[in-house]
Amino acid sequence: MPGPDLLSSQGLRLDGRRPNELRRIRCKLGVFTQPDGSAYLEQGNTKVLAAVYGPHQASKSKSSVEGVVVNCQYSMATFSTGERKNRPRGDRKSQEMSLHLRQALTAAIKTELYPRSQIDIYIEVLQADGGAYCASVNAATLALVDAGVPLRAYACACSASMAWRGAEPAPLLDVGHVEEAAGGVVLTVASLPSTGNIALLELSHRLHSDYFEIVLSRAMQGCRDIEIILDRAVREHLAEGWTKQDIVTI
Amino acid sequence: MPLDYRRFNGPEDSIPYNYYTKEYLKSYHELHRELIDENGVRKDGRTLDEARSLCMFFARTDMISQAKGSAYIELKKTKVVCSVFDPREIMHQNEFSALGQLFCEVKFAPFSCPRQRRPHAPDAEEKALSVALRKALEPTVCRHLFPNYQLDIFVYILEHDGACLAAAINAAGLALADAAVPMYDIITACSLAVIGDQMFVDPTEAEENLAIMNPEKDGINNGLITMAVMPELRQISDFRQIGSMDVNCIMKATEVLQKECEKILPNIQQILVLNVVNSFEQQKQLEKEAKEREAALNAKMEEWKTLLNAG
Amino acid sequence: MAGLLLSPTEKIYILHGVQDDYRSDGRTNIDYRPMELETDVVSHASGSARLRLANTDILVGVKTEIDVPKPDNPGLGKIDFFVDCSANATPEFEGRGGEQLANNISNMLQRAYNSSQAFDLKQLCILEGKQCWKLYVDILILECGGNLCDAVSLAVKAALFNTRIPFVKAALMDGGSVDFQLSDDPYDCKLLEAGTAPLLVTLCKIGDKCVVDPSAEEESCSVISLIVGITGNPKYYSKDAIETPNFKCKCSTIGMNGPGSVAPETFKNAINQGIIAANSLDEALGRALLRERQECNNFKKNSYGFLK
Repeated sequence: MPGPDLLSSQGLRLDGRRPNELRRIRCKLGVFTQPDGSAYLEQGNTKVLAAVYGPHQASKSKSSVEGVVVNCQYSMATFSTGERKNRPRGDRKSQEMSLHLRQALTAAIKTELYPRSQIDIYIEVLQADGGAYCASVNAATLALVDAGVPLRAYACACSASMAWRGAEPAPLLDVGHVEEAAGGVVLTVASLPSTGNIALLELSHRLHSDYFEIVLSRAMQGCRDIEIILDRAVREHLAEGWTKQDIVTI
Repeated sequence: MPLDYRRFNGPEDSIPYNYYTKEYLKSYHELHRELIDENGVRKDGRTLDEARSLCMFFARTDMISQAKGSAYIELKKTKVVCSVFDPREIMHQNEFSALGQLFCEVKFAPFSCPRQRRPHAPDAEEKALSVALRKALEPTVCRHLFPNYQLDIFVYILEHDGACLAAAINAAGLALADAAVPMYDIITACSLAVIGDQMFVDPTEAEENLAIMNPEKDGINNGLITMAVMPELRQISDFRQIGSMDVNCIMKATEVLQKECEKILPNIQQILVLNVVNSFEQQKQLEKEAKEREAALNAKMEEWKTLLNAG
Repeated sequence: MAGLLLSPTEKIYILHGVQDDYRSDGRTNIDYRPMELETDVVSHASGSARLRLANTDILVGVKTEIDVPKPDNPGLGKIDFFVDCSANATPEFEGRGGEQLANNISNMLQRAYNSSQAFDLKQLCILEGKQCWKLYVDILILECGGNLCDAVSLAVKAALFNTRIPFVKAALMDGGSVDFQLSDDPYDCKLLEAGTAPLLVTLCKIGDKCVVDPSAEEESCSVISLIVGITGNPKYYSKDAIETPNFKCKCSTIGMNGPGSVAPETFKNAINQGIIAANSLDEALGRALLRERQECNNFKKNSYGFLK
């Protein structure tokens, strides 16, 4: 079991965080002018850009009367990882990521408001250091807010892993690349914290069902923490935006 | 790179043996001395400013019977075939394009290059040449006459001995005229290699290679220029330069190339006029034959009529 | 780019503005828009730069790998350009939609860096005929606001200037193969000499005149643009500015873009205009990069990234 290595005897993790500590999240809304909404989010060393176009008329093949079609594309810059990637998108992993993003974000968007329309969400990972999916979901949420798309709730994603401190289980919050590579289990949760719903759940390795509950609750706690951070960022951005807009109108 | 399973591929990391021959290990100066002697005469007997297009230009149209128009151009050892096909509707296009599209493809024959074997899959150089060819032809074709249609132009380089882009553009211009595609002007192209203060008009492959090789002395001009011109309209439709040269050199080269391109024009005009004359004669011949046949038939008819009446 | 629709009247307005040397954003025909540049923004890359030219946003990362030199150039390293048009810029680039534009730009760069006087590949050689460095210059286009070529070439030059290559400590010859030991200390490295690296200048022909740094609106009014690659002057890029007396900037590539054609006189004027523009750009870039390096050495550098 790789668990014990992840925590030092002082109870600190490999990068010096405590088990229940998130990495520093810094974000900005409205980085670009051309997309309808855009956001940049840094979670530790993982850096993600998100852009939203739409809602606009859906192409014929995709169109649905039920609600809006969410179209996601996840791509990683060729220099984002330690070893150079050959293609930024189109490989299996990024296709799977696009699918998972779509699942989480469709749950958050009030899809029934825009039948026969489409929303494009493009994610560009500039630097990957573990938890790229979580950062992508969080950035996409901010971009959707910036675009003014009605949401049910903030969609937040967070990961958690399992470690032991002595004999006591100590689940780790917000798994970094080093911890991912060490081979522990990673539970990724995308949820709508304010409603308490889970939109996506993914487990990388096997985990004893006795511990599932605590790991999940740790991840959910992370989602709630992230929601507070995102909410504050949105409020700050709007406050700033109002003053800026006032200057323009005067 | 996906591997090509349909053909036999050589080992991937093989190196042509001629990299180790004496011929190949010559120094820059030796190569330079070999290309041009003290009197300014090149290896193949031309002077510096003498293009192959004047003395050894050979071209004809109607090479390929299946194509709408085709042309073959030979500049001594550079041999190029071009075929142009009927315009066809662009498939799978979501937007209507008001201007017709040109689709160009330049392909080297596997055995065409003196240095290495060309792979079957299009490589970067072939793609770049295709783009350059399209760029050169676009201004001259009346593209508004076939909206939402595309015109296919295929160029096959049988043998490469320098100036292949210029030859390809000349051949494509000729083939387009042969296919009766409406054009604003005939297009001609020429290339030039600069080594130091010498300008090799219409360079051979060896000269081109030396021009893009790193010179031993820094600060001298070297490089290649290819220019496509519409001579009657006095417009440059494409200009591409690589290497490094200063402004004066480029200005001078532009003048030289413009003159050369104008010199090619009568050659191409001659071929096209000859084409028209030929087709007229052919037409006449056909008409004559048709008349003869009709006369013979009429005679037969008369014969039968008389037979019938008699019977 | 994205959903850019201009009426004929708007196009005529732009055209008349160019004719009178007073463009719609108040610039003259030879003015560039304001730029923002930051180096060292991606920590996974050996060198990186982000450039924002009005609405055009470019991120460049340089990665280094060890490779075997080509048999016909045993003493030279390799440099490879890869352009990726991110769908963030416009939905048209989704999937493989941006490939053609990306290929055009990377071909242009490859040709501009082809000449030895433009970028010296000898500095990438480790052991002649056996091992060399290969630079992967990856360019990410995040937003298109016109004039991509110029912005990309500026960002690439800045990223190359910022690139560090680790020193090779020891080499072991083991039979025919070579083994290296690279120094682990991140500060034990050499900086690339990128002073002569070329800059591309796009000259967009609108009416009878050529403008530098066209915006997306101006690009849509023009049928032909000329791209001139001019080698840089190393004196702008080193502190102890050694004045090389008759150093002359040279053209390392010229190409044309767009379906139109151009008259020879306009062509010549445009090249001269391009050289002047490239020179002043080069000087400004050199000054900015030196200042940034100075700040970095004094540990005063603030990192902004996309958060500004």
